[in-house]
Amino acid sequence: MKILYAIVIVVLAGFAARAQTNAEVSTIATNQPAAPATEPRAPTVIHSESWVLDNAARQTIYRGNVHVDDPQMKLTCAWLVVDLPESGHINHIVAETNVVIDFVDDKGQTNHATSDRAIYDFNVKDSVTNETVTLTGNARVENAQYTGTGEPIVWDRANNHFTSTNFTMIFRQSLDNALHKTNSPPATTNELAAPK
Amino acid sequence: MAFIFLFLTFGLSGRAQQKAGGHANNFISTEYYEAPHQQQMKTRLSGAEAQPLPGGLLDIKNFKLETFTLSGQPEITASAPECVYDTINETASSPGHLQLDYGAGKFYVEGDGFLWRQTNSFLTISNHVRSVIKMSPENKAAP
Repeated sequence: MKILYAIVIVVLAGFAARAQTNAEVSTIATNQPAAPATEPRAPTVIHSESWVLDNAARQTIYRGNVHVDDPQMKLTCAWLVVDLPESGHINHIVAETNVVIDFVDDKGQTNHATSDRAIYDFNVKDSVTNETVTLTGNARVENAQYTGTGEPIVWDRANNHFTSTNFTMIFRQSLDNALHKTNSPPATTNELAAPK
Repeated sequence: MAFIFLFLTFGLSGRAQQKAGGHANNFISTEYYEAPHQQQMKTRLSGAEAQPLPGGLLDIKNFKLETFTLSGQPEITASAPECVYDTINETASSPGHLQLDYGAGKFYVEGDGFLWRQTNSFLTISNHVRSVIKMSPENKAAP
């Protein structure tokens, strides 16, 4: 076994003036001005056991083994509610119960996210595109570098990165590095402690 | 309820005609919005053939359901090879396949077994649901 998961727990909790600071797990800033919408986007395909349209409420509900296949992600859950606006882009989707999302970020890294609930929101204000997926309820993101938990975890799809309040990260480390660093005390500062 | 049933058979003369035994071709049932929009069509049910069944039911072939917004824009277009339309309870149902377009092609869904409740605009598909949502062109954030 070449890989050992060395655990470094970092709690970016509320301390002094930096309380509730958002942990940003990317280097790209959010809410950038949107570029002209020119690229055609592949459609999103959803499979489920059953489906309901409440046309008076302009809402549709997918139930049972819901599978969403989107160009940016794959999502599974038990219950998916899609709002149908009278015009324009679908702007609000709620996924509930055993939500699992797999997506590839802008660095080509595969991410695996789980939560009790995920809420997709889309809007464009002053030429700025905001497209987010907010994970709540045992929200967790895993990738090759770390496992992160937070409440909520917000995936910014417009910029393809995610942020969270009170984000806790458990880093993965190679066996060689881990053997030299065993029994080290846990980090106690507010700084993000990456494995050495 | 502003429902109008039209049983039309287009023969050589082009006049509406109902066949013996109540069987009709080119069935159309139309509902309009309530006042003050009573001139605006809300829902149109249609079928190539309609065969009356006991209890106020109609066995409809090549069923088509269309709904329209207050501004007259098409909203839902659904079709099924066949269904049973309940004229008393204003429902349409079938164990068969249904295809539906919503919002001028932005949203598509299909599946097997459906129930349409006209009174509250409620549609249920019971099995094997597959849906396609066409999102807007990709809005990528500027660097």
